[in-house]
Amino acid sequence: MPYPMIALDDLAVRFGGVAALSGVTFTAGASEFIGVIGPNGAGKTTLFNVISGMVSPSAGAFRIDGVDLIGQRAHVFNRVGIARTFQTARVFRNLSVRENVEFGLRLPGRRGGRARHLRTEADDLLDRLGLRPQAGLTAGSLPPTRQRLIEIGMALATNPRVLLLDEVAAGLTQGEAKTMASLIRDLRSERDMCVIWIEHNVEVLMRTVERVLVLHHGEVLADGPPARITKDPVVIDAYLGETAVD
Amino acid sequence: MRRTGWILCAAIIACLAALPWFGSNFTISLALSITMYAGLALSWAMFSGTTGYIALSSSAFFGVGAYACAILLESWPWPIVILGGALTAALLALLLGLCVLHLRGTYFAILTFGISELLKNLVGYVEKSQFGTVGRMMLGVPSLSVIYWTVLGLAVAAAIIYWAVARSDFGAALRAIGSDEDRAATLGLNVRNTKIAAFCLSAIIPGSLGAAVAVRWTYIDPQIVFNPFIVFQTVLVATIGGASRLAGPVLGAVVFGLLEELLRLHFAHYYLILLGILLILSVLYVPNGLASLIPSRRPQLLHRAGGKHALPNDRS
Repeated sequence: MPYPMIALDDLAVRFGGVAALSGVTFTAGASEFIGVIGPNGAGKTTLFNVISGMVSPSAGAFRIDGVDLIGQRAHVFNRVGIARTFQTARVFRNLSVRENVEFGLRLPGRRGGRARHLRTEADDLLDRLGLRPQAGLTAGSLPPTRQRLIEIGMALATNPRVLLLDEVAAGLTQGEAKTMASLIRDLRSERDMCVIWIEHNVEVLMRTVERVLVLHHGEVLADGPPARITKDPVVIDAYLGETAVD
Repeated sequence: MRRTGWILCAAIIACLAALPWFGSNFTISLALSITMYAGLALSWAMFSGTTGYIALSSSAFFGVGAYACAILLESWPWPIVILGGALTAALLALLLGLCVLHLRGTYFAILTFGISELLKNLVGYVEKSQFGTVGRMMLGVPSLSVIYWTVLGLAVAAAIIYWAVARSDFGAALRAIGSDEDRAATLGLNVRNTKIAAFCLSAIIPGSLGAAVAVRWTYIDPQIVFNPFIVFQTVLVATIGGASRLAGPVLGAVVFGLLEELLRLHFAHYYLILLGILLILSVLYVPNGLASLIPSRRPQLLHRAGGKHALPNDRS
């Protein structure tokens, strides 16, 4: 039996005396589409920080595709196939949009061909995300909503097996959020990758993903298909409240 | 346009190379200072200008290069002496990089400077306790023309390194580190190794220059060759000219070299004060360096995009 793509076992992260995550056990398969919800401070971003290698867990086991990566530096996590975006977009602000997207393609050993392939591959990505018209502009000059798209491009350029999206629909109107959701859905099936998506826009998220993980006070409150999560009394009580989506 | 630029560069280098046949000793010395500054500043800009890590270790690289020269000069041919300077400096950069490249910002700057000072005193101490004297005589010194050609060659090499790095994937990695190091790591870049490699590469030219220029002093000691002025001048030249373009450090070296000579000749007692004032003015009024005043082939990439032009296209 193949290993799960991501396997967290009784994982804990503590900052000083504060437990950001505790007892988190969670596995994700190779092409799953998972949404992560929970109130602010529930530990969602910390979960991403662990999976992307930016924070080392204080306790518990953590494997990616069967490989124990605890103690490794962040670039190793990317090389086994983890790529992410950030809640506050972190693009290379003073580089052009094209250079941002090219970065993941340019790393030595990642690309068989040379410069000409680089250009077409970057063009394809820019086209796919609708960023081609802004390719020559400095990334930092674009508004946050555009910067999130650049970040998705940067992540995709590293050809990930797991894409972690941290609130990529924040600040979008409901219509734009839906467009973003269908873009993500399409990208995931085109590339057959696992997507884990943190989003506050629960309505759009629930309609898009196949499985939802609910975090609360650093613990897993619920884990299951959206239809069940929206009806789960514990989740409604803790997070969704009376205005739950149906 | 591009081709004209290349031809112009080649012509200038050819003229500089021919200088020993028609120039006076004074002109050669002046050209030597300028080319040395250019080499030092280009190497510095290749690393610090891209990554944003302000390295204050040029004096250390220069100094170990000079000492390598003092040791090798008597029994080895000139190219080996220069190579010895380069390798010693690169080795020092490797050790230094392993120790301090995890530090960021001011800490990195201060520590690289502190280690250079430490090295100065350490070399002095070792000489005194092991050999009973401080300093060394330079024996078997080549002619001024040979020194000048060597320095010119090294400055050209520094320019080629700068240019090649800027175009390469390695250069893209360095710029990404300068922009957001942790982000670059999440995109698969081994930031530590990349920084160490670039730091070592940036030490080669200062080390070689130390070896080449050391022979102009008939006697060297740690106070002379580990002089912190070397790194101050390096950073100033790169800053005046602008570190983000090849033309920057070169232009900075020309302006700084001429200005230094001019002020020293006419205002011998307070030329350093005047130089200081001019530097402050240049940083205040031309913050991106003199090179930013020359129109670039790709200005819209880095400058014009900052304004309103970017917005109307949004969400198109």
